[in-house]
Amino acid sequence: MLEGEERQALRKAVRQLAGKYGREYFMSRARAGGKTTELWREAGQLGYLGVHIPEEYGGGGGGIGDLAAVCEELATAGSPLAMIVVSPAICATVIHRFGTDEQKGKWLPGLTDGSLIFSFAITEPDAGSNSHRLTTTARRDGDDWVLNGRKTYITGVDEAHAVLVVGRTEDARTGKLKPALFVVPTTAPGIAYTRIETDLIAPEKQFALFIDEVRLPGEALVGDEDAGLMQLFAGLNPERIMAAAFATGMARYALGRAIEYAKTRQVWDVPIGGHQAISHPLAIAHINVELVRLMTQKAAHLYDHGEDYEAGEAANMAKYAAGEAAVAAIDAAIQTHGGNGLSTEYGLAAMLAAARLIRIAPVSREMILNFVAQNTLGLPRSY
Amino acid sequence: MKIVVLVKQVPDSGAERNLRAEDNTVDRASANNVINEMDEYALEEALRIQEAHGGSTVTVLTMGPERATESIRKALSMGPDGAVHVLDDALSGTDALGTSKVLAAALKRLEPDLVLCGAESTDARGQVLPHMLAERLGVAALTGARKLTVDGSQLTIERQTEEGYEVVTAATPAIVSVWDTINEPRYPSFKGIMAAKKKPVETLTLADLGVSADEAGWAGALTTVASHAKRPPRSAGVKVTDDGEGGTKLVEFLVSEKFV
Repeated sequence: MLEGEERQALRKAVRQLAGKYGREYFMSRARAGGKTTELWREAGQLGYLGVHIPEEYGGGGGGIGDLAAVCEELATAGSPLAMIVVSPAICATVIHRFGTDEQKGKWLPGLTDGSLIFSFAITEPDAGSNSHRLTTTARRDGDDWVLNGRKTYITGVDEAHAVLVVGRTEDARTGKLKPALFVVPTTAPGIAYTRIETDLIAPEKQFALFIDEVRLPGEALVGDEDAGLMQLFAGLNPERIMAAAFATGMARYALGRAIEYAKTRQVWDVPIGGHQAISHPLAIAHINVELVRLMTQKAAHLYDHGEDYEAGEAANMAKYAAGEAAVAAIDAAIQTHGGNGLSTEYGLAAMLAAARLIRIAPVSREMILNFVAQNTLGLPRSY
Repeated sequence: MKIVVLVKQVPDSGAERNLRAEDNTVDRASANNVINEMDEYALEEALRIQEAHGGSTVTVLTMGPERATESIRKALSMGPDGAVHVLDDALSGTDALGTSKVLAAALKRLEPDLVLCGAESTDARGQVLPHMLAERLGVAALTGARKLTVDGSQLTIERQTEEGYEVVTAATPAIVSVWDTINEPRYPSFKGIMAAKKKPVETLTLADLGVSADEAGWAGALTTVASHAKRPPRSAGVKVTDDGEGGTKLVEFLVSEKFV
């Protein structure tokens, strides 16, 4: 209903490409601590990572709905690539919408074809969901900026060329701090990062980032100093849409495995899928995943038509529902597999933590419920 | 060089396929229809020739019902310049001979230097069409290629055989059929997908081609499928009991099945 011929053709093409690599490729890299570089590069060369960027920068001229489709289909085929959510979706979008012509010319072509990877850093040790408590601060020094601060749970710093850092600058007039975004090369003097060990099995790792008197040229500030908050929202809506697509793709992968297993596994006289105790949970999971896909497409549609506020509401709802649907789908898939559900061979247990993560990141389900209660329902602010 | 690639829409060979009870034809309505896999290799080869030889054009030629449009768009998203779709209700029931008549008429109109196609389609697997077309058009047929080299108007193929390969040459115009060993087809890029919709697709009827309705379809078919049955379930395999000669017996089995 919502997706045209080209979107469907794109989904098919991405599915084919990811199918060539297969789940084995992704899991073996993830378990060995490697990256999925070949798949990333090929997807980039085929234009799949830059579908939402205008053609003048080498992109496909489509929207975030197209990029969400790419992300979802990769995940559905067994290769959820988290850096798509970060590099092209958040960073390229922010630079495209708010960067100067020079910044766009410098960074967009690389972010579009995947040869350039940016991480995104907002969370701080003492400021999780509360972006008003961010303490990473930039001060002017002549034409330069000097940045100081700490960031935590930053995805993929080790594979990124630069990090788009959410910091704050001091308003010269009021003395108040306001958000501002800086492109910080990962090789800049004063940048250090250490890996945060997690039990997530994914090629993309988590990092603590230390920013100590990092000197940046004036043009490292993305866009207008006064547009900081708008820029942040511009990047965060696509992030939620992409997170929802990422989660539904994982859920679809798990359900696909479960359906296959339920059709072939026979314990009594019929395949186990013939028992309602097996088929109903899978049917429920499928329904919920389809509903999330619809909401994700709605959010992307609104965003691509410039309805930022409405898109924000829909994107948050899609992301909330995606986390719930993915956790439930993977749980149902594991239950269908019995003991095999926890075996390394079937690889579903590894998805438990990955799906669970969607309930927490990039924004927790509780913060989304706060947002909906307050902004959509008009209830008093609860925190 | 003007290249035409024959593209056929077939039911996905990865899924279950059926013949219809009423007329023994392939059930396309309920199937997931895709481009015949081998044709994608032919198209890839055409695009590589185009990239290597400036001034070449690549046109897709499809004969099939309305829904074959999906396969034409998919083919166009890989990069060719345009397509010709032979579409006519009277085509239903056409056999291989009739298909070759219709496609030959379309090819005469297009006047290609080189016709590329898959060595077989995954639904019928007759492998006869390239030869029939060559005969009707009076051009050379280089079939079953695993490699194709173009040097001006000179074509050289490595023809795949069971024991090895043969080198066969011919001058254009010619028809070359290819196996899936010839290349690795590209995936459509996003730009290719977006551009596919804007590419010209010319629709031709039998009347446009000067083929009368009784030369095609059921009326013109010289062959008919009399009956069909499902393949019997697989019988139990060969069991080799190791009485000291197990290894030899295993090798004998592998040799007899041409695995080694």
